[in-house]
Amino acid sequence: MAGSALRRLMAEYKQLTLNPPEGIIAGPINEENFFEWEALITGPEGTCFEGGVFPAKLTFPPDYPLSPPKMQFTCEMFHPNIYADGKVCISILHAPGDDPMGYESSAERWSPVQSVEKILLSVVSMLAEPNDESGANVDAAKMWRENREEFNKIAERIVRRTLGIPT
Amino acid sequence: MSEKFELSGEQTHQEGQINQDELILQQQRQIQQEISESTPLVGELESISSLNAEYSSDEVYLQKIKDLASKYKFVRRTRPDGNCFFRGFSYGYIEKLLSNKDEFKTFYTLAENSKSSLVELGFPQFTVEDFYDTFMEVLKRISDMPTLEESKRELHQLFNEQGYSDYMVVYLRLLTSGQLQREKDFYSCFIEGDRTVIDFCHQEVEPMYKESDHIHIMAACSAMNTGVRVVYMDRGNNKQVTEHDLPEGSTPYVHLLYRPGHYDILYPN
Repeated sequence: MAGSALRRLMAEYKQLTLNPPEGIIAGPINEENFFEWEALITGPEGTCFEGGVFPAKLTFPPDYPLSPPKMQFTCEMFHPNIYADGKVCISILHAPGDDPMGYESSAERWSPVQSVEKILLSVVSMLAEPNDESGANVDAAKMWRENREEFNKIAERIVRRTLGIPT
Repeated sequence: MSEKFELSGEQTHQEGQINQDELILQQQRQIQQEISESTPLVGELESISSLNAEYSSDEVYLQKIKDLASKYKFVRRTRPDGNCFFRGFSYGYIEKLLSNKDEFKTFYTLAENSKSSLVELGFPQFTVEDFYDTFMEVLKRISDMPTLEESKRELHQLFNEQGYSDYMVVYLRLLTSGQLQREKDFYSCFIEGDRTVIDFCHQEVEPMYKESDHIHIMAACSAMNTGVRVVYMDRGNNKQVTEHDLPEGSTPYVHLLYRPGHYDILYPN
């Protein structure tokens, strides 16, 4: 099983290196272990996260791609769909039926033909358009809904921190 | 599901929420694992009367098992993990093909050409490749065996190795999804609600462990160019089991026993 997962992860790494999606870099933290990746995601233009470079860790299960990886931001984050500990909670990281958040039935789900690239692109969309109905961070969801100005201020501070600019 | 929903709704405390979600998932995984470990992926041949043991004092079922035994000799159980149709159907189909070299060859060619048609439909090549390679490797390994008996033994062994077995299931799921998408006008009338055929494929066909319905069976059969007879056995009032040939009007090649939520393979008299 782990052999097939490794082969697939190597193919995906190659794919991402040859055709990197805009604003995303991802690959194994060290090439001895293909089951732990680091990704750098640029905050989408025209959003409160614009300009930030957000590091995250992806952890792949031994039966990948039958089961999805887990993803966790390693920098400070404040977002309705990211838990306080940085774990990302979006539908593509869950198989159908594996449903802690009661996602909409039309939401994109994990299947073996999804890929790291699809996940990262979904995360970029999530940064641009939070889903405040499935709140992994209830405080962030509430602030996004009720006090956008304050939310934007916090986001701006986080962006500056990821760039090492004093806040 | 509604229970889970309430939990995440009521819980406002961050840490509490993380723990609840994780706990539920952990419990689900554990239950699945317990089921897995108690049943082989694909079992040995068993007599039809072996089913009696599951319904010791249930007259309705016992009567139907008697009826089933008048038509079928053996049942081969599959692991109830949501993949049972795909696993049972592909096992039963390949097993039967083995006894006819020409039919096997025709199917081998069909399988060989199937990857490019998936890629044409928009499946990314690198996501399809490993499943295709495994599918072809299994077909090759079993057909390379010198005798029918050894071929069947190899098939049984490979289908009970999780890595091979699950990759066979995934590839058949992809072929089924491809068939649904190619004939989406026809299949769209079988899908309830306002989901498109593509949504349905992404949510109900391509992911592992999602259970199969008539529409999956019809499309899988069309993709493999064959027919299945599904024999229904439930607690309904009639004394006999009910037979459905899918796609309608096709000649049944593989026979499956359906009990609510689960498929096993049947062997006719």
